[in-house]
Amino acid sequence: MIVATTTQSTAIGPQIRPDLARALDAAWHNIGGAGTWWTGEERIAIATETRQAIHCELCRARRDAVSAAMVSGQHDNAVDLPPPAVEAIHRIRTDSGRLGAGWYKSLVAAGLSDEQYVELLSVVAIVVATDTFRRAAGLPLLSLPRARPGVPSRRRPQGAKPGLAWMPTLAPEDRTEADPDLYREHPGPRERGGGNVHQALSLVPDSMIHWWDIFETMYLPAPAMRDFSREYRAISHPQIELIAARVAALNQCAY
Amino acid sequence: MDGVTNSGVSHAGPLIAFTDAAVTAKNSGALGLDFARLALVRSIGAEAMVDAAAVIGGFDGITRIADATGIPLEASKAEQTADLRTELNIDELGAAKW
Repeated sequence: MIVATTTQSTAIGPQIRPDLARALDAAWHNIGGAGTWWTGEERIAIATETRQAIHCELCRARRDAVSAAMVSGQHDNAVDLPPPAVEAIHRIRTDSGRLGAGWYKSLVAAGLSDEQYVELLSVVAIVVATDTFRRAAGLPLLSLPRARPGVPSRRRPQGAKPGLAWMPTLAPEDRTEADPDLYREHPGPRERGGGNVHQALSLVPDSMIHWWDIFETMYLPAPAMRDFSREYRAISHPQIELIAARVAALNQCAY
Repeated sequence: MDGVTNSGVSHAGPLIAFTDAAVTAKNSGALGLDFARLALVRSIGAEAMVDAAAVIGGFDGITRIADATGIPLEASKAEQTADLRTELNIDELGAAKW
C-alpha cells in the first residue's frame, strides 16, 4: 500500500498513477473557480446538489415509476439554486438514461439557458466521475473545494449551431481562432476527433475541456484508444471496453 | 476458475462484479463493493484495480453527458450496430424518455 499523490487524497490507499492524480486534482480544483456562465459559488452549489440528489425521495419515486413524468413533487434539495437547475441536477444524477428532449425544453422554458445547462452538466459529470472512482477504489470522498471569486466570462462560441443535440454545438469546422483548443485539427495538444460525444459540451468550450481532460486520463485519449500495439493502462483494451460497456448498460445509455 | 467468461476477456468475471458493485453501491451497500474490490485485487492486482475504477468513474460521467444532451449515434456507428440494436431492443429504451 502506498500513499496517494493527490493534494486532497493523501490517505493510505492504493497507488494512483501520477497523470491520473494530477488530472483528478485539476478537475476538482477547477470546480471552485468562476466558469463561463456560473460563479464559483454557484458551481460549488451544483456539486453539492449532485451529491444530495441520491438522497432525494422524489427522484427515488420517479426512478421507480414507468415514466418520471408520472410523478410530481418537490426535490429534497440541499442548496439554493433556481428550480430548473435543481431539476436538471437531480435527473441527470439519478435517471440519466430516461432523459428526453421534452424534459430539456421544459427546463429552458423555466429559465435555464442552454449555456447554463451545459456548464451545469459538466460539473455534475465531474462530481459523479470523481466520486464513483474514489468509492470504487476504496478511497474516501473528497470535500468540495472552496469557491473562489471571479466573474463568469459569458463567452459563447460564435460558430455554435443548432441541429446535432438538444442545444447548439460547435463543430470542428466552425471553431474560430477566438475559441480554445478543442479538436484534433487545432493547435493542440488535444486530439479529440469531433465525434458527436466530443461535441456534446462544445457550446461552453471551457466546460468541454474541463470534462475531456479528466475523462481521457481516466479512460484513454483517442489515439491510445485505437492503438492496439501496446497497452497504456494496467488493464487491457478489451478489459477497458468491457467495463465501459457494462457501465453504459447499467446506466441505460444507448449512445 | 480462470476468470474468463463467455466474453473471452481475461478476468471478465471479477471485473464485471466490481463494476456492478461500484455503479450500484448506493443500492447494494459498501460491503458488496469491498468484497468485489478485494476479489479484483487478488485477481489482477491493485494497480489494475485502480485503473478499472478510473474507467468506471469516467463512464459513469460520460454516459450522463451523452444522455443529457440528446446527441445521436453517428450514422456509421448506427449502421454497424443496427442488427445488434434490434436484437437487444436497445432503441426501445427511448419509449420511456422524459
